Order: sequence, then C-alpha cells, then structure tokens
Amino acid sequence: MDDTADTPWDDNGQLEVLTFDVGDERLAIEATHIREIVDLLPETLVPGSEPLVASIVNYRGKIIPIADLRVAFDMPLAEPTPDSRIVVIETELAGEVTQLGLRTDKVHEVAILNRQDSSPPPQVGLRWRRDYVRALVRLPDAVLALPDLEVIFDSVLGSGRKAA
Amino acid sequence: MTASILTVDDSASLRLATRIALTGAGYTVAEASDGVEGLAKARGCRFDLIITDLNMPNMDGLTMIRQIRQLPIQTGTPIIFLSTESDDGLKQQAKAAGATGWLVKPFQPEQLLRITQKVLAR
Amino acid sequence: MSEQDPAAAFRIEAADLLDGIEQALLDLAIQLDDRDLVDTVFRGLHTLKGSGAMFGFDALAAFTHHCETAFDRVRKGQAQASAELVHVILSAMDHMRALVDGDAPEAASDAILARLHAALPADGAPAARSPDISDAAPGQRAPEIAGWRLAFRLPPDAMANGTNPLALLDELRGLGACRVRALASDLPALDGLNPQHCLIRWEVELDGAIPREAIEDVFIFVMDDMEMQLEPVTPSVPDTVNAPSSLPPPAVSEPVTHKVETAARAVPRAGESVRVPAERLDVLMDRVGELVIVQSRLSQLANSPFSVTAGNAIVLRSIAEEIERLVSEMRDTMMVLRMVPIATLFGRFRRLIHDLARETGKDIELVTDGEATEVDKTVAEQLADPIVHLIRNACDHGLETAAERVAAGKPPAGRVTLTAAHAGGEVLITITDDGRGIDRDRVRAKAEANGLVQPGQALSDPDLLHMIFHPGFSTAAQVTSLSGRGVGMDVVKRTIEGLRGTIDIASVAGAGSTFTLRIPLTLAIIEGLLVRVGTGRYVIPLTAVEECLELTAHDDDRSRGRSMIRLRDALVPFLRLRDLFGSTSAPDDHQKIVVIATGGERVGLVVDQIIGSHQTVIKSMSAVHRPVTSFSGATILGDGSVALILDIMHLVALGQHREARLRAVG
Repeated sequence: MDDTADTPWDDNGQLEVLTFDVGDERLAIEATHIREIVDLLPETLVPGSEPLVASIVNYRGKIIPIADLRVAFDMPLAEPTPDSRIVVIETELAGEVTQLGLRTDKVHEVAILNRQDSSPPPQVGLRWRRDYVRALVRLPDAVLALPDLEVIFDSVLGSGRKAA
Repeated sequence: MTASILTVDDSASLRLATRIALTGAGYTVAEASDGVEGLAKARGCRFDLIITDLNMPNMDGLTMIRQIRQLPIQTGTPIIFLSTESDDGLKQQAKAAGATGWLVKPFQPEQLLRITQKVLAR
Repeated sequence: MSEQDPAAAFRIEAADLLDGIEQALLDLAIQLDDRDLVDTVFRGLHTLKGSGAMFGFDALAAFTHHCETAFDRVRKGQAQASAELVHVILSAMDHMRALVDGDAPEAASDAILARLHAALPADGAPAARSPDISDAAPGQRAPEIAGWRLAFRLPPDAMANGTNPLALLDELRGLGACRVRALASDLPALDGLNPQHCLIRWEVELDGAIPREAIEDVFIFVMDDMEMQLEPVTPSVPDTVNAPSSLPPPAVSEPVTHKVETAARAVPRAGESVRVPAERLDVLMDRVGELVIVQSRLSQLANSPFSVTAGNAIVLRSIAEEIERLVSEMRDTMMVLRMVPIATLFGRFRRLIHDLARETGKDIELVTDGEATEVDKTVAEQLADPIVHLIRNACDHGLETAAERVAAGKPPAGRVTLTAAHAGGEVLITITDDGRGIDRDRVRAKAEANGLVQPGQALSDPDLLHMIFHPGFSTAAQVTSLSGRGVGMDVVKRTIEGLRGTIDIASVAGAGSTFTLRIPLTLAIIEGLLVRVGTGRYVIPLTAVEECLELTAHDDDRSRGRSMIRLRDALVPFLRLRDLFGSTSAPDDHQKIVVIATGGERVGLVVDQIIGSHQTVIKSMSAVHRPVTSFSGATILGDGSVALILDIMHLVALGQHREARLRAVG
C-alpha cells in the first residue's frame, strides 16, 4: 500500500513545497496552497474552541483562524520568537474554501521534492497520529513530513452546518 | 452678476427640471425641499427671486411666504408660488400672505423663464 | 458629470407617491370614514397628476385625473368611500405604475374607469378630458388701433410684496415704443414718506396695434389690487407715428407646444437606485479622506530619493498596512450601502393580503415584526417571489373560511405573521399562518402515489413535510389560480437554496404552519454593546440588552457559588463571563452586569468593563469555529483588533439551564 499516492506529485514525480519548522520538526506544504507569509498578528482567543484553533486574527480585513500544529503533533506549546511567522494557506474545509494561518517557528525556502525520496509514514514508531502525515521525504540534511491538513482539521470541524 | 433664484418644492423631479431650465438661462439656483429649509436659506442670503410650491411637509408654502416677508434681508424679493389649480381663492390667500405672482402647474420651461424674466429687475 | 434626467427622477418619485397612496388606501379600507386618509389619497393623486403632466406623462395625468375627481367628491362629502371604491383605485394604482413604466395596455384604462363609474355613479357632470393646463392666451392682432393710453397706480404694498414697477414698465416697453410719465402727486412730505410704499402713479403712452390682453397680461399679478385706465388710441390721432409692433403678443402662460419625450419609449425600471442613510456615506467619506492622506505619504516617499534602508522599509510597510486596512473598511462600507431594511418587501405584502382576502372571500389579517432587519438588496429582491408564494399558499390552503374557523373555536379572521431577525450571520424569516396545518396523511398519500416513498416505509416527520417541496407535488385537489401559477414549492426551495439558505417547516394539525427561511449573510450590521472580559473584547447585540448595572462588591460576594442575582425585585440567572471564557488576568475591581433578554427569558452577563456602543459589521467565522456556540460571529474594531460577538440565544439558554440544574440539585 503506497500512501504517497495521496500526495499530489506531478507527472514528473515532483512537488513544489514551502518548508517550515514547527518545534523541532520540519514540515512541508504544497506551494499552491500558500497564500502569503506574514509576521505574527495580534490574536484574539476564542474561548471554547478546540486547542488546535484557539484563536483568530484580522488578516487583510478577513477573520481567519490561527492553527498551531504543535497541538496536532502533541508538542508542548511555546512562545513566539523573532523568526516566528504565520503562513496563510487556502484550503477546503467542510466543503468551503477557507483561509487559515499556520503558526510556524521558522520558514525556510520553497523546495522541489522528488517522489523517489519519499516514503509512507511508518506503521510504528511515529510520534504522531499516522493519518495526520501523508508522507515523509528524505532530504540531505533533514526528514520532511508532509502533513495531511484535511485530516488534521477534520477532527475539529464538529457537526458543521445543517444540511439544506 | 447673475441673478440668484431659490426654488422650494418637495418634489425632487420638479426641482431638478426647474434647475435645468434656470441654469440653462444663466441663473444661479439654490434649492430647498420644504418650508423650513426654504426659510432657513432665505434667512442666510438675499435672493433675486423665490419660487415655491405651496403643498409641502414640515412647513407649507403660505406659512413660509409669510415668514419670509418678515425678513429684512428679503425686502421686496419677488416670490412666485406654484399653483395646480386656477382656484382664485388660493391665489388671493397667497397674495395676502405676500406672494408676488404665480405659475400654474404643469408648466413648460419656457413658461417658467417667461415668468422669471417678468418679475426680475433688469 | 452626466446630466440628470428629470423624467427619470419623476419615475422614482412617482413610484414613491404610488406606494404612499397605496398604503393610505389600505388603511382606508379598514377605516372607511377616516377623513385624513381620504385627504392623503386625494393629495397624492393630485400631485401625481400635476407632476405627470409636467414631465410629459400625459396618459398618466389624464387617467389619474379621473381618479382624483372621484376622490375629490368623497373628500367634499358628495359621495361615500366604499370598499369597492378602494379596491378599484388600488387596481388603478397598478395601471398607473404601468403607465409610468410605459407598458400599459390601452384597454385596461377604460376597464378600470368603467369600474370606477360603477362604484361611484357620476353626478352628471362630464369628466374633464385633460388635466388643468394654464390659461392659454391666443395671440391676435388688434385691428384699427394705433396705440394705447394707460394710467395706473399700484397698491401701496406692491413693492414690499415683490412687485417691481420698473420691471412692469420694461415689459410695456417690450410691447412697443413708450413714453412714460411718473406722477408724484400722491407722495406725502418727506418726513412722512415710507420708501417701501408705492405711491407713484404712472401714465404711459404706448404705440402700436397691441392687443389689450397683452397689456393686461403685463399686470396680471396685480390686476386685482391696482387702479388702471386703459384707452385705445385710434389711428386718426396724429401723434401715433410708430409702426405697429411686429412682436407677437407674449402670453403669460403659453399653450403646451413643447413636449418632453412621451412615456412610450423603453424605460428602465424605477428602482435601479438604492436609498442610503447619510451616516453610511459619511463613514465612506471619512475613509476616503484617510486614504487620500495615506496616498500622499506614499507619493512623498516615492518622489523622495528612495534608498532601501531599514527605516524606509518600515515606513513603506506601515503605509501598506494603512492602505490595506482602509481598503478593507471601504469595501465593507460599500457592501453595507447595499443593505436595505426588509420593510421594503413587507410593504408589498400588505397589498397582497388585501387582494388575497378579496379573492378567497376570507378575512385575513397580516402581522409583521422585524421590519428594520437589513438584508442585501439583491437578497431582498430574490426573496420576494418565494415569500409571495408562501403567503399565497398560507392564505389559499392554510387558512380556513371564517365559518370553519368559528366552528373550530378560532377567531373568524385568519392571521398571517411575517417576522424577520438577524441571528448571527444569518437572516431568519418566518411565515406563519394560524390555519388548519399541513395534512400529513394527504402528503403521505400523495408521496406514495408519486412513488416518492414506498407504502409502509418509515419516514421522519421533517422528511414527510419536506415532501411538499418535490416538483409537481401539490396536495390541493385543484390547483387554484392563486397558488398554482407554475411557481410551486419546488421553485421556492430552489430559490432559497440558490441563496445558500435553508427552509424548514413546522406544522400542527388544526393550529397552523410556520415556514422558516434561513439565509446566510456574509455581511450584516448590528448595533452592539462592546464589553471587556479579561483581556478580550466582546460585542453584545444591543437589541438584546435590557440594562447595565454595576455589580457591587456586596452582591458580588453574596452571589458567589450561586446562579441567581437579585435585581430590584426579581431574581435573574447570571453568568460570569470571566469564568465561562477562562480569563486568567486580574479582574476589575468593579464588575458590571449586562442584563440581556430574548424571548421573555433574561440572564445577566458579568463583565469587567462596559466600553460603549459600537456599530458592528458581523463577519462569520470559518467552519472550525462554528461549533463554538457561545459566539455567532466576529467583528473588526476601529483599531484593527478582533472582538467576538456573543450568541444571545445560547447564553440565555445556558443561564436557564444552569439555573435549572442547580435547582434540581438544591
């Protein structure tokens, strides 16, 4: 079973991604989902929300949630540093195109990944929920994890809207 | 120096039609949409002519004319009222209130200009 | 700048006038002897006729004249207002609307006038064919006259009343050569002279074959009050030497020769404009003003020797952020400009109910609530047809006849209730009737007959009721002309879904049915009360706020561990928002309570600080925050920070629930 089929490699087996750090893990998200990288914005806590999406911000006049992937990957929360950035992505949540911000500790560069360097997440020994990770990609100096945002955010969506 | 005319009427379309006709003939036009506004503007500066409807909310035309006649700044200003009836009673009332003349609605731009030229001092 | 078209402005005014007359007529239908309403209708018709004639809408003016004449008789007490008369005039309103738009069928006019005469038999006086046109003075050359001798004296107050003798003399000069003599014999001594009094007499000799009417016309305004002697001079008198004037005698009021384009050309519908409260434009102006300032900062920076230094980068970024904020606010304001109160729709429905009552022979009253609720203009337009259909459906199928109702112990008049309200990021519109309710057995039978459900198949009640939205589904034995016009419930549902909304049905046999439309709004404006709890700020919709009080230290202590607080004579459940929201900062010394209420239930919200009222643009939150029921949305404050909007229904329910639980335990 090749789970890397979930990852949208192109016909040449490549994928353009933005890489960034969350805690001591290096993550990557396809560049097509990235809208913008901005400095930290003043956050407003939403009492009663899931810890993954505990706050919202004013992003260019829109209200978008801020997600802390440390929560998804069971890492302890940490204070922001001068390198901290918000990566604003656009993705589909509950059938709606939604913008949200990912809190990152450091943003690296845009890189091209190769399918041949990738492998599905191992059955055992992974720190996190297996279905949160689409694939692991070996780089010369690190191992990248490609998170499955759809699955991660599905857990916080709740019952959603009433069907029409 | 161009003559300045104040038109008072609660109908926006009539004010617009009147403005177009008068400014086309070279007059300067100020507008008010009821008697209260008309009186306020009449207090503010002297006009060469005031054209007013009678049937308006907040303060009707007759009351406004009476009040304007009390203002020293408008002494001798011709006031033309718009009438929709050939009812003599109304004309007498308006003249008693201090109106100078009238223009019967509906009127065409030429009629308006004719009356205007008639009452304005050359 | 484009020149405005008075005819277009008139069309918009005419639409308003017609609406106003219609509302007065509907009121009159209930109160036939109300003289003020009769006056209002008459004045409206009168104005419509006059203005219509002025802007070239001759057919409209002529038609309206008949209606005006009829109502004048009622106004003068010569005839009685009747329900039939009101109804005919209402039909006439529709025809007038068509005349304004320029697409009125010819025959309709005669049909309505016939009904008008039937409702109000003419008293024998022939109706005037055309509206009142100002006196036409035909010009005729006066034969055999060489000139005139004129002596006149104006009333003493003529100049005070704006008459200018010099203008009169100038007008006379315009008719022909004049010799003017002013006589001062009536003037008093200088110390008794009032300069405003007109005491000079004039004698004028006028040359030319000028018609008497032309001279009299000059004095038309003062004719009644002045003294005048006017004698013709015959040609044999030697001192008339001037040639007859070749000027055509001017008339004060000329026959209508110049026509503005008739209403027959293709016309855009009046209603392309939106009425906007001035304050909203002021807000927009402020933003534009700020944008201008920021833009000049940018220009300055661009024009100065610009090198990429850290300092300049910061300035540039600050400018960019400013622009971003302003543009976003302007965009919000622009969208807000498109909001209209739903009252614009509700007004239309009064007329509908009136017509439906007549056609069904039932007694129907309409109750509305929430007219001020605002929706986007296009949403309002799209909701019109579905709601009309639901109302027709309620009146036709839902409501029973008066006899049936009385037999069932109900008041003889059926009631249709329309409400509108904001609930967070949605508009809720309900259409309720107190009629017979939906016959579930018939719906079931029809559904089975149509193969939509198998006999014996289990079907939940909501699903069963929703069967009526199936295309082609109608349980009415015969499709009546009212509701079965090809519109159908399925189209209603599709239209609502097209607005990303939902439609729900609640129905109780024998008691009535309620249709609830939920339309999401990406943008809505509410008046809110801004409060602070801990370090966060929150907005409470002002319509729900009953009062604000200070929580004294005494009451604060006393109410610890309890769920109720004493407010004057009543016990009110309360929620400490600090606790609910998990605030960890130090509490303010003097806590405040905001008492909110909805549906008759109250709860007090304890907050750190009440900041003040705030006009709030509701922004819905994304799907990840929708499950958080305490909040119905969020808003951006003036400084760019975010405040959450409290969901009143949820908090009140929470307060009630806690109280019930504690009661159960205690």
